[in-house]
Amino acid sequence: MSILQVDAVKKIYITRFGGNQVQALSNVSFEVQEGEYVAIMGESGSGKTTLLNILAALDRPTAGSVRLDGQELSKIKESSLASFRREHLGFVFQDFNLLDTFSLKDNIYLPLVLSGKSPAEMQKRLAPIAKQLGITHLLDKYPYEVSGGQKQRAAVARALVIHPRLILADEPTGALDSKATDELLGLFGEINRSGQTILMVTHSVKAASHASRVLFIKDGEVYHQIYRGNSTENELYQKISDTLTMLATGGEQR
Amino acid sequence: MKKGFYRTLAWSGIQKNRKLYLPYLLTCMGTIMMCYIISFLGTSSTFGSIPGGDTMQSFLELGFDVMAVFSSIFLFYTNSFLIRRRKKEFGLYNILGLGKKHLAVVLLLETFIVAGITLVGGLFFGILFSKLAELCLVKILAGTATFAFSVEPSSILHTVVLFAVIFALIFLNTLFQIQLTNPIQLLHSEHAGEKPPKANWFIAILGTLILAAAYYLAVEIQDPVAAIMVFFVAVVMVVIATYLLFIAGSVTLCRLLQKNKRYYYKTEHFVSVSSMVYRMKRNGAGLASICILCTMVLVMLSSTTCLYIGAEDSLRNRYPRNISLDATVSSTELLEGEQVKQTQDIIESVVQENGTEQQNILLYQTAAFGAAITGNQVRFDNQTYEEAIEAMADIWQVFVVPISDYNRLMNKQETLSTGEVILYTTKEVPYTQDTIQIGNSEPLKVKKQAEDFVDNGVDSMQIFPTMYLFVNDIDEITAPLSEYTMGNRDESLVSFHWYYGFDLPCDDDTQIRIQQQLTEKTQQLKEKTGEDSYFHIVIEGVAKERADFYGIYAGLFFLGIFLGIVFVFAAVLIIYYKQISEGYEDQSRFDIMRKVGMTKQEIRKSINSQILVVFFLPLVTAGMHLAFAFPLIRKLLMIFGVTNMSLLITTTVCCYAIFAIFYLLVYRTTSRSYYAIVSGMKDEQE
Repeated sequence: MSILQVDAVKKIYITRFGGNQVQALSNVSFEVQEGEYVAIMGESGSGKTTLLNILAALDRPTAGSVRLDGQELSKIKESSLASFRREHLGFVFQDFNLLDTFSLKDNIYLPLVLSGKSPAEMQKRLAPIAKQLGITHLLDKYPYEVSGGQKQRAAVARALVIHPRLILADEPTGALDSKATDELLGLFGEINRSGQTILMVTHSVKAASHASRVLFIKDGEVYHQIYRGNSTENELYQKISDTLTMLATGGEQR
Repeated sequence: MKKGFYRTLAWSGIQKNRKLYLPYLLTCMGTIMMCYIISFLGTSSTFGSIPGGDTMQSFLELGFDVMAVFSSIFLFYTNSFLIRRRKKEFGLYNILGLGKKHLAVVLLLETFIVAGITLVGGLFFGILFSKLAELCLVKILAGTATFAFSVEPSSILHTVVLFAVIFALIFLNTLFQIQLTNPIQLLHSEHAGEKPPKANWFIAILGTLILAAAYYLAVEIQDPVAAIMVFFVAVVMVVIATYLLFIAGSVTLCRLLQKNKRYYYKTEHFVSVSSMVYRMKRNGAGLASICILCTMVLVMLSSTTCLYIGAEDSLRNRYPRNISLDATVSSTELLEGEQVKQTQDIIESVVQENGTEQQNILLYQTAAFGAAITGNQVRFDNQTYEEAIEAMADIWQVFVVPISDYNRLMNKQETLSTGEVILYTTKEVPYTQDTIQIGNSEPLKVKKQAEDFVDNGVDSMQIFPTMYLFVNDIDEITAPLSEYTMGNRDESLVSFHWYYGFDLPCDDDTQIRIQQQLTEKTQQLKEKTGEDSYFHIVIEGVAKERADFYGIYAGLFFLGIFLGIVFVFAAVLIIYYKQISEGYEDQSRFDIMRKVGMTKQEIRKSINSQILVVFFLPLVTAGMHLAFAFPLIRKLLMIFGVTNMSLLITTTVCCYAIFAIFYLLVYRTTSRSYYAIVSGMKDEQE
């Protein structure tokens, strides 16, 4: 079953001074099936972040439509957008986006508190997730007291605790060292195997090689895609590298 | 060419930070203006020449010194906010290749620009408004003024020199700050990790206890003399307690709220409470200072206003009649003697010569002495100085008045049998005993307490309360006291007075003339009677004293308002700067909250509740301090002769209300700019 349908999405920015038009996305279409683990790759300026912002309903497309669970995002009223976002979408960011005034536990609770859940309910939801992510002993610590990898795991917990339909990850390994990256990618795979749909935007071939499908964006369009099929991570890694090389040297394969 | 480059940098440095610099420039201008005005009023010769003006100018000179100290502290403080915000900019310049020397040149130019703009602007407005201030002052002194416009060069010089020094110091401080940090630190100075503040139960409880004790002291106090001494103790205690509570108490309270899961994990409280912990940790001391500043302003404003408005009342208390004669005589026989009759004749003839008449005549006899009263015992023992200080609260002025005078003046028909007295006390100090024993005589029975008696100048001049004893025969009471002398001097303790006062339905000039003539004629009378019997007359006239009286009260009033305005502006500006600089720090925080799914309304609500607390905590606490200080202030004002309770309540409430309205306006502006900063650029796309 398809969770996310992106159909002919186009985004044009008008710069504030001079009114120049900048086309960030020209024509993007793809679908994500339930339980899939999709990575979107592209160079800086290819429109990855714009696409993610549109998927997250933080930004609206100039043309085209995005459907989550059959619901058209642009039709949702501004007032209920925030609650829609926190009930259906979980976010993981490159720079963690944890609030330094909250302990890790309170950071994870934040979306639940906003949805008006009771303390007991929150506790019940957090316990298994914290255990799975191995941060149970860190919950009362503050962000400045823990390592980058631990911070990112707390951020993943914050995304999971709302039981989202889709997790959107924006360069989740971007600020991590290689050990923490491996751990996090392992966790993502584990989460995905338990049925969670994940869409990840990344630069890193290694991160992308854990996905079940990789989309390549170039100049605001989906240029190419690779399915994992039966390949191992290493094989997929190789395929992605080849594709990227081709993209960079301007190969005409499609 | 190079010069021009620095100038451009300096100028754009100010322009790009408009949001920060504009309030700073206005602040500088405002303080310069105020300094000039107060210096102008203090030296202006036209103002000094009006009645009461010279008395007032001595107050105003004091005011200039206060302003000078205050301006330097305040401008230093506001400037430190500016530097903190701009450190990143300096760091960038530094990395781009501008050495610290070059930065110093840029900063020097900036200082010149700021000093130039604010001095010119401040002096311009100062000169413009100085005339207005002068007219206001003349009005409250009830004098007349010309509308001639004048500029006081010496005041301009004073102000310019003062602020040149302040700006120079600020410049040096900025240089010092930049010298201390390296470029990387400069770039990152805004984002330093912060430990979560810990609840400090001990200090929080200590603060609460001290505050409670201070409040208890203030409310419990009975007599005005003790009030003076307690006042300073209570003030110090409240200041300490306010700091303790704002710094530790607030954090502890937030921590406590966080422990309460049902309360804490609610959308309205969650973000606000956890941010407040940090906010209070950073701002606790600042907010406590603001709270104390507010309280001082309010106390100052309400009491000086009350003094000024009540001036006519206290004048009447001090001088119960337009003209009053107090003849001190050596024995009771003289109270009915020839001199008294002759004096009355002189008064009648002088008043008639001036074509007017005596009205509202107040005539009575008293025997007066000072004593310490403990329990029912009235003591006269000569004490050492230390003992006297300790016994201060027991000291009374005692007036013994014939019951016949009491009945006549108060329209009563009281009769007393031997050994009985009627008693009346002033300044709301109660006398609770059933009997009273004067020296070693038989104790007298207090038949009842009188509700009222006429005002007496002696009572309103002294801080000690007065006790009136109404008796059948003054001699009977005072005879046994003839052996006592006043302290170590050779004067007898008890003095007898023939008191005569009357109102005059004529203007002040005639009253002053009558008073002069009376003084001359009674002097002649005294010379005629010779030295064999002691008969000494003091004549006081309200008309002659009024100008000086108003000079003092109006001076205090004006200074109260003037400094009040300055302090309030300062307090409010400090909060504004605090909020604005925190807005920049909170920007990223609220961006995260938006990404996690907080709606704009929720963010706005959370911001509002936080700013509301930061703003109004000092104001509310100041109000509470004021309410508890009220009994103390009332007792202190009683010493100044202001007994009008409702006047004090009205002025206090009005001062607080005006203060609160002003505060509210600034709050609204601040929360708007804060929200604009926090919501940042993200909104502009939508």
